[in-house]
Amino acid sequence: MHILLIEDDQSAAAYLIKGLSENRHQVDHASDGDDGLHMALTGEYDILVVDRMLPKRDGLSIIRMLRADNNNTPVLVLSAMGEVDDRVEGLRAGGDDYLVKPYAFAELLARLDAMARRSADIDGPSRLSVGDLELDIFKHKVTRAGRVIRLQPRELRLLEFFMRHTGQVVTRTMLLEQVWDFHFDPQTNVIDTQISRLRSKIDRDFEHPLLHTVRGVGYRLDESP
Amino acid sequence: MNLHRLRHTTAIRLALRYALFYALLITLGLGVLYWTIDHYVDAQMAASLESELARLNQIEHDTGRDALITSINEELQRNNSDNQRYYLLQSTDGALLAGNLTGWPNNFATNKIVRNVWVEDDLIPGRHADEDGFWPMIAMQLDDGSRLLIGQSVQQAEDLQEFILGTMAIILAVSVGLALTMGWLLGRTLLQRIDSINATAQSVTAGELSGRVQLTGQGDEFDELGGHLNTMLERIEKLLTGMHQVTDNIAHDLRRPLARMRNRIEVTLLEGRDAGEYMLALEETLQDCDELIRTFNALLEIAQAEAGSVRGEWKTIDLTTLLQDLGELYLDQAEAQGKHLSLKIEANLKFVGNRHLLAQAVGNLLDNAFKYTPDSAMILLEAKPEAGKLWLSVSDNGPGIAGDQREHVLERFVRLESERSTTGNGLGLSLVRAAAELHKAELKLEDNQPGLRVSLILPT
Repeated sequence: MHILLIEDDQSAAAYLIKGLSENRHQVDHASDGDDGLHMALTGEYDILVVDRMLPKRDGLSIIRMLRADNNNTPVLVLSAMGEVDDRVEGLRAGGDDYLVKPYAFAELLARLDAMARRSADIDGPSRLSVGDLELDIFKHKVTRAGRVIRLQPRELRLLEFFMRHTGQVVTRTMLLEQVWDFHFDPQTNVIDTQISRLRSKIDRDFEHPLLHTVRGVGYRLDESP
Repeated sequence: MNLHRLRHTTAIRLALRYALFYALLITLGLGVLYWTIDHYVDAQMAASLESELARLNQIEHDTGRDALITSINEELQRNNSDNQRYYLLQSTDGALLAGNLTGWPNNFATNKIVRNVWVEDDLIPGRHADEDGFWPMIAMQLDDGSRLLIGQSVQQAEDLQEFILGTMAIILAVSVGLALTMGWLLGRTLLQRIDSINATAQSVTAGELSGRVQLTGQGDEFDELGGHLNTMLERIEKLLTGMHQVTDNIAHDLRRPLARMRNRIEVTLLEGRDAGEYMLALEETLQDCDELIRTFNALLEIAQAEAGSVRGEWKTIDLTTLLQDLGELYLDQAEAQGKHLSLKIEANLKFVGNRHLLAQAVGNLLDNAFKYTPDSAMILLEAKPEAGKLWLSVSDNGPGIAGDQREHVLERFVRLESERSTTGNGLGLSLVRAAAELHKAELKLEDNQPGLRVSLILPT
């Protein structure tokens, strides 16, 4: 992906550029708000990563200017302000996702992948498949290798989320936010137990597991191990 | 309280202004009264002089000159000293026929009209020196050309005037005095009340945060003001204490993991190691970092909730759905740990508040219930309306918390001895308390016999 990073903290920017480049992304960097807006308006980017507090022009103002210019490039807002109100404000300004500093790099990467996918097709097809696992969203029907699997409504939504992000790493926080709409951090591993229940239904009786654990980050639904 | 200060108080200024105003008003009223009385007295005297003249004229007309003279002499004898009347009957050549005036006042016309005439002392025989002045007089020419004059001493009227003026002065002095006294008393009372508030403000400014305004219990506006100030001071004190506590706690509880991290990195760097060792050290450091961030976020969240700054996201929450979702999230957890979680959530529970914070609070309570109970424990998440409130409770049949510890565990970073073996930062219940306070809810920790029951009693 071609990513524009607008971030004034030079060492944080350097580390982000390094990490993103190592993950085969092409990164341009602007270190103040005016440069960032100029580059965003003139260049062709798949995604923007914008720090909220910038010299010359703040991050939210950049997003508003872009949106006013009918530029719908997905934007991930980075911020040191973590209040729920700030998140709401960031999303309202036209940001597509919001990440509070300090964050895990894997979380950022996973979210960028998810955002790129989301912008590709917003509603997505109503029939999804990964390998021999199929999901018909309208009929609430799940089959694997032709065998019908019964899922609870919440498990269906969880599976749908995974299938829409096939091959991508999905973090626990993303799941909690997207599937449950909870923006908090449970101390016990409630997400893990949800996943293991889903896994027991779609993977246990089959030879090749599809739902993989990515150590220290989250999960990934993929045909290849 | 010195006089100079008292003089500058609003109460005293008001009192002085009122005193002046009332003095003017009273002066005006009494002036009008005085003027009216004066005119009445004059009119009275004129009328009596006119009727006396008419009567004497009638006597002369009916019964002749001798009868007139006899009448005048009778009147003169009857006259008392206070209300003295003076008579003069003069023949055409100016000879005195009857009466007690020695001569005719200068150019006094015989036109039967009462006029005030300056009476010289020599007109009156044996009179007192201070009796001169303007006297009302009346005169007429009789049929034979002789003249009759009647005059009235104003001594009595003057006495009356003096009396009225004296009384007026007393009334004026007393009322102004009273107004000033009242104003002074009022000013002093107000000043005393204000002084007590000022004293509190000064002591708080000086750093004595526990200072409170003394209330008199009269329920007046000063008590109301004092009450409001006290509430404000309590809030300020609480916020400041909270801040101090956070600073202390950060210093204490974040230092340990930081020291651990630093030591690990330092030791790892002491000599060359293989990639595996470096990786292990980095992974452990990352875990410590995450733990630190989590603690830090929890602290911030508590601070925000306590400061009430997350109110922006206030909206109606479908509590039933929220709790069912949360419960469902933990159901599998219970199964995996061999515990029993039951949900008893009534339908259609609505509440206005911050969804995120409530979810976090209930999540923390459930986390605790799972963490601090043995295997096969029973945990109940319950929500019901009762007596106009929403009762939301998480109860378990675990070891519970001793009665004297229940208040203590709500504080930041407090972890009981028995909990040392489990992970945690001791902030879970602090957030629950902050969330409860933000939502004006009551937080209750009770003995579940056995176990612990934590209830949030939300206002509706």
